[in-house]
Amino acid sequence: MSEFFDDENYNDGFDDSYKRGMNLELWRRLLSYTLNYRFEVTVLATCAVTVAIADIAFPLITRAVIDGIASEGKEFDLIFYAALYFAFVVLLATSVAGFIWFGGKIRTHVSHDIRRDGFLNLQNLSFSYYDFRPVGWLMARMTSDCEWLSNILAWGLLDLIWGSTVMFGIAIAMLFMDFTLAIVVLSVIPVLVWVSIFFQRRMLKSARKVRKTNSKITGSFNESIMGVQTSKAFVKESENLNRFGNLTDEMYSASVLNKVQAALYLPLVLILGAIASGLALVYGGLEVVWGTITAGTLIAFLTYARHFFEPVEELAHWFAEMQMAQASAERIISLIEAESAITDSTEVQQRISQARASRFADGLALDGLLDNISQIEFKNVSFSYDVGSKVLDDISLTIKEGESIAIVGSTGGGKTSLVNLLCRFYEPTDGEILIDNLDYRERSLAWLQSNLGIVLQSSHIFGGSIADNIRYGKLTATDQEIEDAA
Amino acid sequence: MNDHRKARLLWMLTAGYRTMFSGAIAAMAVGYVFMFGVPMVAKFSIDAILAEELVVPAWIERLGTLISSDLTVGMFEYLSLAAVATVGLTVLMGIFIYIRDRLIAVASEGVIQRLRNQIFDHLEHLPSRYHDQADTGDLVQRCTSDMETLRVFLAGQVIEISRALLMLIVVLPILFSLDTNMAWLSMASMPLLLIVAVVFFQKVKSLFLEVDESEARMTTVLQENLTGIRVVRAFARQPFETSKFAEKNADFRNQNTRLIKLLGLYYGFSDLVCLGQIGLLLLIGSHWVIEGALTIGTLFAFLTYESMIIWPIRHMGRVLTDSGKAVVSMGRLAEILLEPIESRHEKFPPMPLRGNIEIKHLQFAYEKGKPILKDFSLSIGKGQTLAILGPPGSGKSTLMQVLMRLYDYKEGSIKLDGSELSSLARKYVRGQVSIVLQEPFLYSASILDNLKTGKPHATLDEVRLAARSACIDESIQQFPRGYNSMVGERGVTLSGGQRQRLALARALLKRPPVLILDDALSAVDTDTETRILSALKSSSVEQTRIIIAHRLSTVMHADKIAVLHKGRVVQAGNHESLSREEGNYRQLCEIQGAIQQQIEGDLDEPSLYVPGAREASREKTARKSNLVREPNE
Repeated sequence: MSEFFDDENYNDGFDDSYKRGMNLELWRRLLSYTLNYRFEVTVLATCAVTVAIADIAFPLITRAVIDGIASEGKEFDLIFYAALYFAFVVLLATSVAGFIWFGGKIRTHVSHDIRRDGFLNLQNLSFSYYDFRPVGWLMARMTSDCEWLSNILAWGLLDLIWGSTVMFGIAIAMLFMDFTLAIVVLSVIPVLVWVSIFFQRRMLKSARKVRKTNSKITGSFNESIMGVQTSKAFVKESENLNRFGNLTDEMYSASVLNKVQAALYLPLVLILGAIASGLALVYGGLEVVWGTITAGTLIAFLTYARHFFEPVEELAHWFAEMQMAQASAERIISLIEAESAITDSTEVQQRISQARASRFADGLALDGLLDNISQIEFKNVSFSYDVGSKVLDDISLTIKEGESIAIVGSTGGGKTSLVNLLCRFYEPTDGEILIDNLDYRERSLAWLQSNLGIVLQSSHIFGGSIADNIRYGKLTATDQEIEDAA
Repeated sequence: MNDHRKARLLWMLTAGYRTMFSGAIAAMAVGYVFMFGVPMVAKFSIDAILAEELVVPAWIERLGTLISSDLTVGMFEYLSLAAVATVGLTVLMGIFIYIRDRLIAVASEGVIQRLRNQIFDHLEHLPSRYHDQADTGDLVQRCTSDMETLRVFLAGQVIEISRALLMLIVVLPILFSLDTNMAWLSMASMPLLLIVAVVFFQKVKSLFLEVDESEARMTTVLQENLTGIRVVRAFARQPFETSKFAEKNADFRNQNTRLIKLLGLYYGFSDLVCLGQIGLLLLIGSHWVIEGALTIGTLFAFLTYESMIIWPIRHMGRVLTDSGKAVVSMGRLAEILLEPIESRHEKFPPMPLRGNIEIKHLQFAYEKGKPILKDFSLSIGKGQTLAILGPPGSGKSTLMQVLMRLYDYKEGSIKLDGSELSSLARKYVRGQVSIVLQEPFLYSASILDNLKTGKPHATLDEVRLAARSACIDESIQQFPRGYNSMVGERGVTLSGGQRQRLALARALLKRPPVLILDDALSAVDTDTETRILSALKSSSVEQTRIIIAHRLSTVMHADKIAVLHKGRVVQAGNHESLSREEGNYRQLCEIQGAIQQQIEGDLDEPSLYVPGAREASREKTARKSNLVREPNE
């Protein structure tokens, strides 16, 4: 399902501009979700470091074995090193399983928690929030963005720890074995960093283009299927195909560009690795002949030269991912932290907790005031959505218990807005709405809304049986009550 | 559809790109030959260093003597040569890897682009009957995520599979030429690894599916909650919704965690096997080195080769499962492509319609045994206005859709200007007949572009004229960007009435010989409606109009009024004759007239809107419009 709402083209219109650079504060806030799982993070980090240590240890063991054979021949204690080697293998395999378990646990839990918080907040946000954010947009935040970010927060973290440990460890090991040779091998790094930055920048740009175009294509499919009758009725098929063809053309060139960039980058990294190996071979080989180092050391250097460059690719990849996901991160944080324009005031909240403590006296609502509504009054109510023109202008109206009021008016006359105000989906921009002479902002929101029954023009039917839908208003309804309502 | 047929379809799709795919695989093969040369160089160098004797393969020596007959090489020159060879081989390999990646990118993206266009076009030409029973979400998912699965297969897995095979084909001869015993040893764990990989991923396939389903359940709850947020609030059911979502959210998390645990087990185990295999080589290889049966350089070469081939083999299980997914996706896409499209061989007359419509003994059913129109007869002369009344389910909208050739009838006859409807090209009929629906679909484009749907080259004056006739010009002018305002999620929010009037203007601009208003003014207030209807009446276009409505005020001035009930015409005539006749029409007059008088008396205001029964069509569209935000006034 998630791909369906993927992603940015339910789109935005909110932030088309990707910011350059990293917003560290943003990632710190998201990281706090990961850090809720302190134990798991600790295990994950330990596993990552262990894997890195094992990665570094294997060439060293190989070195010891080769040197041992060369110097001691048949006297060499192969069994000891074999045991050591297999101990590291078991350690590594356990750590791999461990980091997948704990990384996976963190990933799924973080994504669950972000979604939970988002959902909770969405239940309380006022309708003015929804007016500017289509359902598809919200869905994309809560599904694909959540998964994407939690991936980065778990696996990105893992690779960050592993990658830096490996690079650091290999550098240390090389420097200890042979300082000059290590410097010779490591001299390639500045070039590698420069090449990585050069390509990652360009790849990031083309990858964004791919994502954008991809969501446009999804939108296009969606629109063409939803509007198929209209397209047929207006004989728009070939024009639509034409327009769609332009999109897929765009997609084709963006994707090919992105892949060609990657196709250049990967061989360049390999060639740089080969240059490092070549340098190690010449200088190290001579050193072996001179007797400064052993053959085992040379072999270890040759292996390290190959392994040293693997984390660079990984880290560059995650860095690019983070930059790409930054917009999503911003939107999710803003969704979780958005504050409802309409909530129970602190005073009302106090009354609710007091009333709860005294366990609801009969005839009292959950906010401790009278449960019965005998009069609703609109007093000089004016209202406008956002900054637009006034939809309601100085309306006064009184409704008494048991009365039926019909509201008549032309399209756009404000009938629905009146009802929205009554339900406190919105609040008046001017004037007040009184329930039994008390401003309704001084009553509990939940109480008010559970006392209203509204039939909307465009009714929304939930999945499930018809009875489930009817029962929606009163979860405890019996079958007989449901039939009566129908 | 069986796998064989799907595989064949996949094969057909690659037409025109097969040379590129083969070229990519060939480039990879060449690239790997160079890549495997690198450890060879290292082997010779190491052996040379240790023996302090410059061992050179015979053919290189021969190559050297070609350049200079008395070549004296010191260790430095020898090693420099090896370093240059290492870099040179890697550069050559890099070039071929680049060629491979470029070819595969062009080929896979090309195939996918063609398939995307093909499926888009196909969807637009599938009959309405197909779209009625198809679920929009499911179709979009096929066109996007299944397409993506296929793309990943073409761009990645084709290469992965060939890579593993090539590795074996290229490496095994090298290994055996180096040392037979070591070569056998290095293959020791491969069968085990391959079997474990394939069996494991077959096993977890069902778990992958469960995770997907669990995610779908969570997404459904989320989507229902968000689309129905007004209802949730109206019933103050947030706690209920929250616990419902919490349950699905937790279930998705737990399923996912379960899957990841198994994956962790697998990767841990396979790492154990892979590294154990390398360790075995190191151990036994060292033993043989001690025995003098093996050089250290050869041992190094084996260790390097082993780590080159063993990881792709471990990866095979995943790749094969993913390829299996690609076959499934292919099948889901093929299901769409194999659906027959609407016929398009009928004749396309050069002349526009005049607008005479004659329906005789028409029978129509969506499903066998549930006829919607039964022995239906009705005629309309050109330039006339026909009004149709009837309760929900009486067949009004169905009749209109049959008239548009969105559905095909099998019994009875419909004649347009004397020609049988089914003998006229669909595109001709739709070009001549315009329909405005109760819940019109607007494209997410500018208002201007939406209006110009039926007549792409219309001038702004023409557009505004049509908009004025539909009484929407004024509202459009009030939008911040006027006619250039965007419609839909990224643009202005339109009320139901505004949408209807926009759709009407769009249809009017086309100036069709036949105009159908299918309850198209239901959300427009009566004042505006009267203005629209009189604008229509006084327009200079000779147009046959069919108006479906529930309001008396809409239908009473029509030339002819037909009352439908259960798929038949039960009354026909004009307002005069029908209001004198005993029947449904007079009943309607009495009810609506009485309410009108009473309320007019109370309010002293003439505009009145009595909500009629118009829910049936809504149910049909409810599912499709799930994603569309409710407009607020």
